[in-house]
Amino acid sequence: MKYESQKIAYNYFIVAALLFGLQIVFGLITGAKYVWDYDPLISILPFNTSRAIHMNLLVVWLLFGFMGGTYYLVPEEAETDIYSTTLANIQLVLFALIGVAAITGYLFGWSWGMPFLEQPTILKLGIVVVALMFLFNIFMTMMKTKKWTVIQGVLLGGLVMLAGMFLFGVFFMKNLATQYFWWWWVIHLWVEGAWELVTGAIMAFMLMKLTGVERQQVEKWLYVEVGLVLFTGIVGTGHHYYWIGTPGYWLWWGGIFSALEPLPILFMVIDTMRVVRERKIEITNRIAMNWAVGCAIMHFFGAGVWGFAHTLPQINQWTHGTQVTASHGHFAFFGAYAMLNITMMYFAMPQLRGIRTFDQGLARKAFWFMNFFMILIALALAIAGIVQVYFQRILGMDFLSAQEFMKLWYAVFWISAWGFAAGVVMFLIDFFRLAKAKA
Amino acid sequence: MTLSQGKAIFIWGTVISAVIFLALSYDSLVKMPQRTQEEKLDARVAAGKWVWQKYNCNDCHTILGIGGYYAPDVTKVMSYRDADWTTRFLKDPQTVWPAARKMPNLHLKDQEVADVVAFLTWVNSIDTNNWPPKPMVAAAATGAKPGEAIYKAQGCSACHRIGGVGGTIGPDLSGVGRRRDKEWILKQLTDPKSHDPKSVMPSFARLAQKDREDLAEYLVGLK
Repeated sequence: MKYESQKIAYNYFIVAALLFGLQIVFGLITGAKYVWDYDPLISILPFNTSRAIHMNLLVVWLLFGFMGGTYYLVPEEAETDIYSTTLANIQLVLFALIGVAAITGYLFGWSWGMPFLEQPTILKLGIVVVALMFLFNIFMTMMKTKKWTVIQGVLLGGLVMLAGMFLFGVFFMKNLATQYFWWWWVIHLWVEGAWELVTGAIMAFMLMKLTGVERQQVEKWLYVEVGLVLFTGIVGTGHHYYWIGTPGYWLWWGGIFSALEPLPILFMVIDTMRVVRERKIEITNRIAMNWAVGCAIMHFFGAGVWGFAHTLPQINQWTHGTQVTASHGHFAFFGAYAMLNITMMYFAMPQLRGIRTFDQGLARKAFWFMNFFMILIALALAIAGIVQVYFQRILGMDFLSAQEFMKLWYAVFWISAWGFAAGVVMFLIDFFRLAKAKA
Repeated sequence: MTLSQGKAIFIWGTVISAVIFLALSYDSLVKMPQRTQEEKLDARVAAGKWVWQKYNCNDCHTILGIGGYYAPDVTKVMSYRDADWTTRFLKDPQTVWPAARKMPNLHLKDQEVADVVAFLTWVNSIDTNNWPPKPMVAAAATGAKPGEAIYKAQGCSACHRIGGVGGTIGPDLSGVGRRRDKEWILKQLTDPKSHDPKSVMPSFARLAQKDREDLAEYLVGLK
């Protein structure tokens, strides 16, 4: 750590870690509702509410992580302190308050009712304010020295795109099909566009610092990576436009471009391995490196392979709207984004605390627990989804009768989720121990 | 490869994809009013869409295949349920469909129920490129009896079982044709309490005579 204002990241990571823990609690509750049909919480925390909270916490903790990562990274890249520490701290408190208000609101039935974007409009406007404060602060920092690195440029581009796309999810439209058309501009162009830019930049920065490979190399491949991500990912939005009232040509455009989406991710895996092989310095923060390599691999399988498996319209017409999507969702978000944030936390926290070496035993256990059980979660939900496709879509059995045949796999999923949760608890214990460590 | 070549890939990759995407999006937005029968989208449908959102229906149900996977997709629900059934269900889900996995009673006002039914009726008319697909097996089976469709549409399987599929609240109907004749079944459908005063089965006297006949015909054929 070279600049005092990088410490802003500390609180962002703390909040992100706490919300991650809470997300898992709501995940276990939501999952239990699949295992037992009788739901004792139906009148206080029905499925829709607990799912909304589980998903919102995911998005919010990842965003806190990205913001923390940005506040940590930008001073080193721009070679100056963050423009305003006060603004960054106000932004953190405001964002956290909006998050608390949204989740409390859901518990009392205050919802806007579009999945993931359930936040009532007034809170959405608050989120826009938070995003503007954040972008302003980052932009002003970069403008102080105008040392434009590729990493910074890609990061800023991703953040502007992230904030800009959110606006397409704010307005109520009378036509459900049109509403969903724009909704995907937020959801898809976030996760297969803007977020990929943000995490690509953060990952490039970390790999450069961890391995000592030259900037020129890292930045060149970063360009190629994000170029391919956007090339395949933007038209790839079309894989969500097969069945929602949009014209039939999307089956071609969406099918072909989204089938190419795994390529840039495979490229990232190869690139990560190459950087590790060509390292110029001894890697001291081994656990951060573990998470970085794990992230590349799980990103590839979760987002790339699992996405490819049901992206072609010939397959998607059967799997669309089944647990196959839930399997892909869990696997991809963990691999691509949760792991990136955890990598960043392990990368930055020792430096924020000014420590060089620390006991990594528990961190390594957490790594293997989370990864192993996430794979089981993804497999169990995928099998549940395939059973669902067979009974419901091929045989034409009604929805609830088909669910009966999926019970075993819901149970495997839920038990695996407890294993995953154990990994998260280990991570949290380890992370907070690290956060309190003294140099 | 040099840095500037990498940069060119980034810029051209992004620009080409964005141009294609924006052009197709423009075309889609021009065509969607027709594909979604926007002329039928009146104030009532719009109000129903807001009811759908206000009660966060979409985090249990999918619609157009998007949303929570906990409850049935409702995109084409009005193709196999009529407005009467849907209205009764929305007012008291657990009585009309006494399945173990429950929909909570949202205590909707009559106006809200009517609006959401109007909304679902409109959604049913959206051209979804034939999604969800017709079940392969059902499409292949020719000569399915019309009563079978009524059995499905009325949600009989919530309480009754045929061939191991369905609920356990009412008796298993797998071989009902061996035990009961058509007369008996017709009477049961019209007035369930006539055979057992303590029966919890709702009366289906409100169905058209023809539909009841078809349903009884189908059931009596289960041997």
